[in-house]
Amino acid sequence: MTEKKNRSMIQRRLIPTYIFLAIVSFISVFPFYWMISAATNTSFDVAQGRILPGGNLGVNFQNLIGGQNLWGAMGNSFLYAFVQTIIALLICSLAGFGFELYHDKKKDMVFTILLLAMMIPGVATMIPLFKMIAGMNLLNSVWGFILPAISTPFLIMMFRQNSRNFPVDVMEAARIDGLTEIQIFFRMYMPMMKSTYAAAAVITFMNAWNAYLWPKVIMTDTNAQTMPMLIANMAAGYTTDYGLLMLGVLFCSVPTMIVFFVLQKQFAEGITGAVK
Amino acid sequence: MEKKKGMSLLQKQSRAGWIFLAPATLMIAVMSFWPMISAFITSLKTGSSANMQWASPIFYNYTRMFADQLFLRSVGNTFLYLAIQVPIMLVLAILLAQLLNNKDLKLKGFFRTCVFLPCATALVSYSLIFKSLFATEGLINTILVNLGILSSNYNFLGNPASAKAVIIIALIWRWTGYNMVFYLAGLQNIEYSVYEAAKIDGANGWKTFWGITVPLLKPTIIMTFIMSINGTLQLFDESINLTNGGPAFSTITMSHYIYNNTFGTGVANFGYATAMAFFVFIMVGVLALINMKVGDTRD
Amino acid sequence: MKKKLISMLLAGTMVLSLAACGGGGSTGGDAGDGEDAGAAEMGTSDDENTLTVAAWDPNFNIPALEAAAADYKENVNPDFVLDIKEQGGSQDVETAITTAASSGKYETLPDMVLFQDHWIQKYVADYPDAWQDVNDIDINWDDFYAEKLDYSTIDGVPVDGGTVIMAYRVDLLQEADYTIDDMKGITWEKFIEVGKAVKEKTGKALLCMNSDGNDLMYMMLQAEGVSQFKDGKPYIVGNDKLKEIVELVVQMVKDEILLLPNSWSDYTDKAIQGDQVAGVMNGNWIIPTIQAVEANSGKWEITTMPTLTGEEGYASNGGSSLYITANCKKVDLAKDFLAYTFGKSTVTYDNALKDGGVVSTYIPAGESEVYNEGVAFFNDTPIYAQISEMGSHVQTIEQSPYHYTCREKLGAAVINIVGGADIDEELKNAEDQLNFEMGN
Repeated sequence: MTEKKNRSMIQRRLIPTYIFLAIVSFISVFPFYWMISAATNTSFDVAQGRILPGGNLGVNFQNLIGGQNLWGAMGNSFLYAFVQTIIALLICSLAGFGFELYHDKKKDMVFTILLLAMMIPGVATMIPLFKMIAGMNLLNSVWGFILPAISTPFLIMMFRQNSRNFPVDVMEAARIDGLTEIQIFFRMYMPMMKSTYAAAAVITFMNAWNAYLWPKVIMTDTNAQTMPMLIANMAAGYTTDYGLLMLGVLFCSVPTMIVFFVLQKQFAEGITGAVK
Repeated sequence: MEKKKGMSLLQKQSRAGWIFLAPATLMIAVMSFWPMISAFITSLKTGSSANMQWASPIFYNYTRMFADQLFLRSVGNTFLYLAIQVPIMLVLAILLAQLLNNKDLKLKGFFRTCVFLPCATALVSYSLIFKSLFATEGLINTILVNLGILSSNYNFLGNPASAKAVIIIALIWRWTGYNMVFYLAGLQNIEYSVYEAAKIDGANGWKTFWGITVPLLKPTIIMTFIMSINGTLQLFDESINLTNGGPAFSTITMSHYIYNNTFGTGVANFGYATAMAFFVFIMVGVLALINMKVGDTRD
Repeated sequence: MKKKLISMLLAGTMVLSLAACGGGGSTGGDAGDGEDAGAAEMGTSDDENTLTVAAWDPNFNIPALEAAAADYKENVNPDFVLDIKEQGGSQDVETAITTAASSGKYETLPDMVLFQDHWIQKYVADYPDAWQDVNDIDINWDDFYAEKLDYSTIDGVPVDGGTVIMAYRVDLLQEADYTIDDMKGITWEKFIEVGKAVKEKTGKALLCMNSDGNDLMYMMLQAEGVSQFKDGKPYIVGNDKLKEIVELVVQMVKDEILLLPNSWSDYTDKAIQGDQVAGVMNGNWIIPTIQAVEANSGKWEITTMPTLTGEEGYASNGGSSLYITANCKKVDLAKDFLAYTFGKSTVTYDNALKDGGVVSTYIPAGESEVYNEGVAFFNDTPIYAQISEMGSHVQTIEQSPYHYTCREKLGAAVINIVGGADIDEELKNAEDQLNFEMGN
């Protein structure tokens, strides 16, 4: 039996797998196709379930930038998501580094307590948080948006978990070379954990971009509103233009998809906990 | 002398560790634990949110919820989603991960990207997309009628059973890829040689799956399970944007009902709402604890 | 080296926190600090001639407010500016009041808010400190419908009314051999008879209502002069008229005369604008929704509601008024503005009607020329004068802060009854749940 024959046999055995994966992929992607197609149709066509792209994209786009503060909302969403990602990554990776590589009984205990915060339902803390943010005069500001979200147990857990693969002897060697602890973090840890950072960045950016309930509560001014708020408002008016709405949804979805596409390799590695 | 220096070095390192974890810990304390304590105090009060008084008896809000037919229904709905959606989603995710982990498979990156794509959409966006797809005049109806599966357009979101089903389908669509990524990551950590060895021992695919994959993935499974339970018990966006809890409250979730009592329908019964939120918190905690105990693998 | 890094980190944190202070949008009531802060908040304005107002719907209420602002600027105060903070919907204004009052941060509120009539009682009861009562405002209240003024326990200035219209597609009625005059002053029995004929001839339902909003039962009940409440308590069990109405509604659903779309947007976009119905019954603010389908111009006309007895039915649903919030420091300006514009100016009301289709509850406004012009979309009939006249007949019935809660429960009951549940049991459940939420 030649190598080649063997391979084609394997591929043949994999045919059901391919079919199954193709179906799942189709189901996963189809709503996106439909969203894009709907963005090019008139409201009436969308409501009637038209599946093919139409010629109304230009009109929808004109209406969207004319009738809605699209660029403002996009800019806000970018600003909030970007700042939140940078700060959250810094704070949480530092904590993950501290929890794992300097771990002792007390720190482990603190970590367990922090995990409890994962179970706190968002709606429960909304009111006290709102009072706090309003008290600090941070309504309608990027800080009001990010403060409750820049330190999350999930990110800390992720960094802590992945830090297990960080070689301790490298740390020792660095110490002998005279590096301080914080230098080790910036010069050794950060570059080696690149893919964990990438994964964390994808997750944080998506969460920040997609946040709905919290900005809805604290962004009382329309100039500060985010993309999800914009499209939810478009859907909640007295009448809804579906083609227009789907174009808005498209604008709201593209940035997170780009982030994911650009970082997807590192993302997969980061979730695996790979150290480079 | 040597020893003392070593001690102080270790102490120094330990202190550095504390400094590193301090900002994150402080933020969580201020932004999660403190609001939770303050919410607990609120849960012992009654009255409009601008003018609250201590409840009498003090646990009035907690006893009230068990007499609230709507709240009990929202609990029932949420657990129904939990019981149906989470197992289907996780099994599907493991299966997909297992298939994608085959080194002979081509187009791996393409499939993985497709399957993960749904979780890059905003919850608001995908709820609106599904709402349109499953509308009475929507695409799904058009397709089903054209295929002859349905004789006339069916109001999926207007009937209690099918509305629940749509929410479950939407959830599976949105979250399967997300969980799959974790399993895939876990699988890639399993040395291929383990499988080779199993093959030599004559174990078939099914056996290796249960004998090797699942046990080695156990920590990941537990983590995704806890995350899914947590996520489902706090389900909100789908309920509010897809069905708005209807028809006749048949799809409303706990978080949605709590939200309605906070901002939703002009009720603003913060005391009662936070009491219910506490109940959710306790339930999530208990379920997570059971989970961790069942699959205790800590190092 | 380590110290240096830590101090750098500390410095960094301080810069961040400083930036945080500077970036904060919302400040104290007088908003004393800085130009940039003013633009980024709902709140109030420093300028003595500027009032801020939160409102919603750029195709309806907002043109009305703009009309008032232009009127006041031209005829009273040339420096006047009305800064309209557009919201996504009425619920956003409600949420803003809730959050402001709950946190004690009243300075987040604008000078005035547009507020739904059916909600105002509840919000005044729950958050008394969020409002300023303006009972000394210079308005002759006798010029307004008594029913409209009955909603609020504090004085707000009416903007639009909710006088119910029953609109029919006359072309479809004709296919079933009926005219608009046949539909005037009829019983619901007769309505069902016509509905069946229209359904048979044209395939379209004669009525529609979103199943989660349930304005329908309320309107039908008000036309009978009966409320869902009696002496502050729910009046569902033992309310024979209500039971009769629920039975009619269920009957109409079963006969496919009444469409129940799942949500408000399905109701407006699919049922009404998607051309699925031959009749629409709701507050007159539904007119712009009907008019959005230009292809149907000339095919609609309006008349009064059917009733159980066959007399002409009058009801009111929805509508909103302007209220001055606790945060308003320029109360005199606000009062003067409101009294001059929505309090008595037919110029304001004429333009509000022309630009936004907003129909006034100010009785003299109905006599103006603009109101008496024929509307092409409605077959050149003067519908606004008609509505204005209809509004004066609406009976005042007992209102309750729990208006929407009650409707929600009744709506759920109807869905369950249509699904096969027992009517008495469902009405009992609805009343129990309502009592529970009211704390009775």
